[in-house]
Amino acid sequence: MSASVIAQYVMNGAMLGMMYALVAVGFTLFFGVLDIIQFSHGDVVAAGAFAGLAAWTLLTAAGVAAPAVLLLAVVLSAIAVTALLGAVVARFIVLPVKGAPQLNVLLVTLMAGTVLRECLRLFYPGGSQPKLFPALLPTSGWDIGGFHLRFDNVILLVSGALLIAGTHLIITRSRLGLAIRAVAQDEETARTMGIDFRRVVLVTFALGSALAAFAGVIDGLYYNEVFFGMGLLLGVIGFAAAILGGLGNLYGAIVGGFLFAALQTIGAVALPFASAYKDVFAFGVVILLMAIRPTGLIGERASERV
Amino acid sequence: MEELRVENVFTAYDRADVLQDVSLTVERGTITCLLGSNGSGKTTLIRSILGLTPPRRGRILFGGRDLTGLQTHRIVAEGIACIPEGRKVFPRLTVVENLRLGAYLEEDARVIQQHLDRVFATFPRLAERRQQLAGTMSGGEQAMVSIGRGMMSAPKLLMVDEPSLGLSPLFVMENFAVIRRINQQGVTVFLVEQNVHQTLAIAHRGYVLSQGRVVAQGTASELLADEQVRAAYFGSGPPTGRPDGPRRNP
Ligand SMILES: Nc1ncnc2c1ncn2[C@@H]1O[C@H](COP(=O)(O)OP(=O)(O)OP(=O)(O)O)[C@@H](O)[C@H]1O
Ligand SMILES: [Mg+2]
Repeated sequence: MSASVIAQYVMNGAMLGMMYALVAVGFTLFFGVLDIIQFSHGDVVAAGAFAGLAAWTLLTAAGVAAPAVLLLAVVLSAIAVTALLGAVVARFIVLPVKGAPQLNVLLVTLMAGTVLRECLRLFYPGGSQPKLFPALLPTSGWDIGGFHLRFDNVILLVSGALLIAGTHLIITRSRLGLAIRAVAQDEETARTMGIDFRRVVLVTFALGSALAAFAGVIDGLYYNEVFFGMGLLLGVIGFAAAILGGLGNLYGAIVGGFLFAALQTIGAVALPFASAYKDVFAFGVVILLMAIRPTGLIGERASERV
Repeated sequence: MEELRVENVFTAYDRADVLQDVSLTVERGTITCLLGSNGSGKTTLIRSILGLTPPRRGRILFGGRDLTGLQTHRIVAEGIACIPEGRKVFPRLTVVENLRLGAYLEEDARVIQQHLDRVFATFPRLAERRQQLAGTMSGGEQAMVSIGRGMMSAPKLLMVDEPSLGLSPLFVMENFAVIRRINQQGVTVFLVEQNVHQTLAIAHRGYVLSQGRVVAQGTASELLADEQVRAAYFGSGPPTGRPDGPRRNP
């Protein structure tokens, strides 16, 4: 395998990794703040991607053609819809069952995800079929010794990294982040500090979901299509990545996301069986890793847990 | 002038009824203590005031304003801070982060810095360890973090739940001195304790709680002089009435 081909695979893996990391960070934030698994997270992501697609469809129908405007509209509407959906899930599905066993929360969010998924299929025009997702970014690029480095990939990777870095700054440096970490560690005491617990939960869910919206847009741009069921696998992968890294740990989620993408890429290209087995391989390795490190690769180190 | 007024409060957890018709007042500028044996409902009363376990019946007034039924963060915003039982520091936050949370509702960075400086002046040890994770500190140091955190909002009323729990006698003395100093700076203190003598030495007035009822009240010296108070305190049930001595609720 030539260096340029390897570089291509690394690039593909990095794109997937960024996508998974963005989803996994959401899982880890929700778990951090409420100790729950928000299982409809993947479907919220899918809804975000569809919101972006809808924005594009409406704007192009209205005659808007400027790529920058379209891109901005797609990203912003995806973020707005997921942030809102995340907050709605928190307010009407998660908070009401607060205090119930974690398993119940998992179940209600799982059901909420199914409802959301079916709504996309039933109510989005032609939603039962995969929908073409427009290429919004310049697909040209640089040729580096046979390897074609596409601008769109670079832009997506850089903006994803900036988003994660921004989230990290919010969590570790801002007053909101301090409130989120306080609530995560001791809800009651946090409330006696004057923190509005419900508001912090809603904002955290909006934040984690908005991040994942970006993953949804990356997914659409990367595969050139979106599908009502895309959130299912994305959700399971994001969840696996978050668990793999150590649930509740921000860095762990990022590491887990990229690790999973690396496993998929290796499974697709470096192993002697067909690339269709890449998920079997990746999940198999995750199961193995979990057996070796049951609490995740990055243990719960104090300072980093949300 | 009264700062805090608890009126006929009944509080229960899911099954257990705890507070039965508790009424008391805390005068502005005083240290008012609440004595009572284990399980008498002292912490429950603090939780009721803070809205963590809202009362089923009764009213809680603070500076004349009715706090009953408000959410905890709104109650706290009125000017109440709490140094909770068992310190409750945020273990995976640094000392400074813990202290900053105490001033969470203060927006002015200069004021926060002033309060931070004041806490560090009171507890120089905390200044040396401002970046240490609170969970890795010794029990005594955590007590400093918890007290400092309670000072950070410059509250009108500071509620302190068993500050001496698990501390060496020397530390207990220091903490009582700090609480007294906070009070001398104009903060009303509601002090929950089991340590009768040291508590009554700094308190102006006090109440005794037994099995969820106020069984005695009076000035510190009245309570100190009362044998029945000790009986109630050590948990031998509600004392029988006695015509003289401190006033006792029927
Ligand atoms: N969360 C709870 N659920 C049910 N019962 C509770 C709860 N917390 C306290 N209780 C009960 O309420 C009663 C009063 O408890 P509380 O903590 O108020 O006592 P206390 O006076 O603070 O005691 P201590 O001096 O030991 O701290 C006890 O019988 C206790 O078992
Ligand atoms: Mg107690």
